[in-house]
Amino acid sequence: MSSVILRNVCKSYGNLPIVKSLNLEVKDGEFVVLVGPSGCGKSTTLRMVAGLEDITQGDVHIGDQVVNDLPPHKRNIAMVFQNYALYPHMSVRENIVFGLKKSGADATTIASKLADVSEMLKLNEYLDRKPADLSGGQRQRVAMGRALARDADVYLFDEPLSNLDAKLRHHMRTEIARIQHQYNMTAIYVTHDQVEAMTLGDRVVVMRDGIVEQVGTPMEIYLQPSSTFVATFIGSPAMNLIEAQVEDGELVFSGYRIPISKIANTSEADLQVYRKVLVGIRPDFFEDSQLTSPSDHLFEFGSVKVDLVENLGFDKEITFKFGQEEAKARLDLRSHIVREQVISLSVDLNRVLLFDTSSQGMLLNAGSL
Amino acid sequence: MMNKRTPIQSVVLYTLVIALVIFCVFPFLQILSTSLKHPIDWGNPSLWPRVLHLEAYKELLGLMPTKEVEIPETIQRLLNNPALSEEKKQALLAKFSSGGEVFSFGRYMLNTFTISFVTGVFSTLLASLAAYAIARLRFPAQSLMANGVLFVYMVGGVLLMVPLYQMSVTVGLASSASGTILSLFLIYLIQTLPVAMYMLGNYFRTIPFSLEEAAMMDGCSRVEAFWRIIMPLSKPMLFTVFIYCFVIAWNEYLFASVFLKQYQDFHTLPLALQTLFTSKNAIWDRIMAASMLTLLPVIICFMLANRHLSGGLTDGGVKG
Repeated sequence: MSSVILRNVCKSYGNLPIVKSLNLEVKDGEFVVLVGPSGCGKSTTLRMVAGLEDITQGDVHIGDQVVNDLPPHKRNIAMVFQNYALYPHMSVRENIVFGLKKSGADATTIASKLADVSEMLKLNEYLDRKPADLSGGQRQRVAMGRALARDADVYLFDEPLSNLDAKLRHHMRTEIARIQHQYNMTAIYVTHDQVEAMTLGDRVVVMRDGIVEQVGTPMEIYLQPSSTFVATFIGSPAMNLIEAQVEDGELVFSGYRIPISKIANTSEADLQVYRKVLVGIRPDFFEDSQLTSPSDHLFEFGSVKVDLVENLGFDKEITFKFGQEEAKARLDLRSHIVREQVISLSVDLNRVLLFDTSSQGMLLNAGSL
Repeated sequence: MMNKRTPIQSVVLYTLVIALVIFCVFPFLQILSTSLKHPIDWGNPSLWPRVLHLEAYKELLGLMPTKEVEIPETIQRLLNNPALSEEKKQALLAKFSSGGEVFSFGRYMLNTFTISFVTGVFSTLLASLAAYAIARLRFPAQSLMANGVLFVYMVGGVLLMVPLYQMSVTVGLASSASGTILSLFLIYLIQTLPVAMYMLGNYFRTIPFSLEEAAMMDGCSRVEAFWRIIMPLSKPMLFTVFIYCFVIAWNEYLFASVFLKQYQDFHTLPLALQTLFTSKNAIWDRIMAASMLTLLPVIICFMLANRHLSGGLTDGGVKG
């Protein structure tokens, strides 16, 4: 395995910049997930590491080597493609061992790798079939097997689960996490699915419009988002952002007044230059006041009228309003709430985040891990 | 909802279709029928021969026993004359033993097959390389090249015939049989390459590029990806293109008639058929049998192509 370093990497198509001065270090054996909306440059970044796209500017290092001018087949990288990209004229067996044979592995190694991979991905009974005779999930497993059979320095995954149904996606996600951990693979995984990003990555890189918004562990990204973009992109439902006035040491919105001093790591002095801030509260951090015991760090939003209740089994999502702005809360099954009911919701102020209204960046070091 | 035809519409449609099919197939049936008729049956307008007469085929395929011609006594005496050179003796003998080989069908067929096969193989190979470059690679004047190749196809063969022959004479190729055949082969290549490239280029574009990218990630260079992934996946189209080139070369008359005129041993079948038409051996059953045998490989080629045109080799490779 090898580390991967991207230094000031840029990619443009003509005058259109796609990736803008990207810096990233993926350590040996680390699993890094690139996440972001469509068109943010994550797949382009991955393809630049693979050598399938030229680099307009900057350097890509794999191990100790700068690989900018190295063709893909000399980089010793294995890649799983979003659309499987299986060789249709070859059987599953031939697909899996194609790369191994190409690398000059001996027959014993090939046989043993094939046995390992087909056992791990439960492909034993399909080895003699052609890709056309497989289901979508089976094809995806073959694509995965083809990459995993290789003894590559770096493994790249380009939205490998995006074509699978929810159940299979969950299963494969677990498998990838297990395999990566087992083989201590250096892996870069591209997805637009925040659940995959949160569950798989040792570190998550959130990208937008060709720039890196934030790099951190999944919990850092979740609890300390660097901007409103990260805050709303990661987490489902998205974080509630409510504009609040800063008045007399309090944050005032929709008739509620939250003492600034009670918000974690924040003092009145910190906010004295601001007249307005965005208050960020994740739906998961609301609690039904009837089920909580009073605490110094709990703030109670009384007289909340429930507009909608969506039961999800263990959780239920409720929709309500802070003034004119719609907000969501996720409560557990102990709360018996119905539509139109007026309730009280509590929030642990240690979990409340504050953002600058103009830069959209997070203020101070609010929120704790 | 499907439009349902009325009975009258169906009758009109099927009548037209059947009439069209008969119009297309009738000449071939006429050829087959005449080739199988005995000379006394030629006046019979029916397509069905009264007696099945295979002599013409047997003769063309060399299955007839060689006729022994009796040499007159005076000639025999001449041959016994020791003063007569061996060469002259053979020439004299040939006059009395001829009749076995009226038309070297086998030789012409071999000539035609060889040049058609070689044209088919080389044209398919070169077209696949060129078509890949035009379909996949980016280089200066790419579209100019792609369109320029098709432009060659638009220029009629008659216009090019004289300049090409002159070129062949100028470079000295026309002065020998092998050089002439090489010239002809090059002309057939030029004639078949544009359409072959066009067909293959369009086919290559239907193969997802990610398959090549996957091969490159698996350690293949671009060239290896082409040979190991693109070419096997293009088998149906490669075969079709081969058949197309083969048939074009098989049926070509114009250039062959100019280039091969002086090399009778290297005549191709269309040329030989024309000679047969105007020779003293222009007997209907033989002409028709020769035409039928010339057609046969073409028909076989189309039947094979039809079978291989089912395609579907790229199914399952990528998410549809």
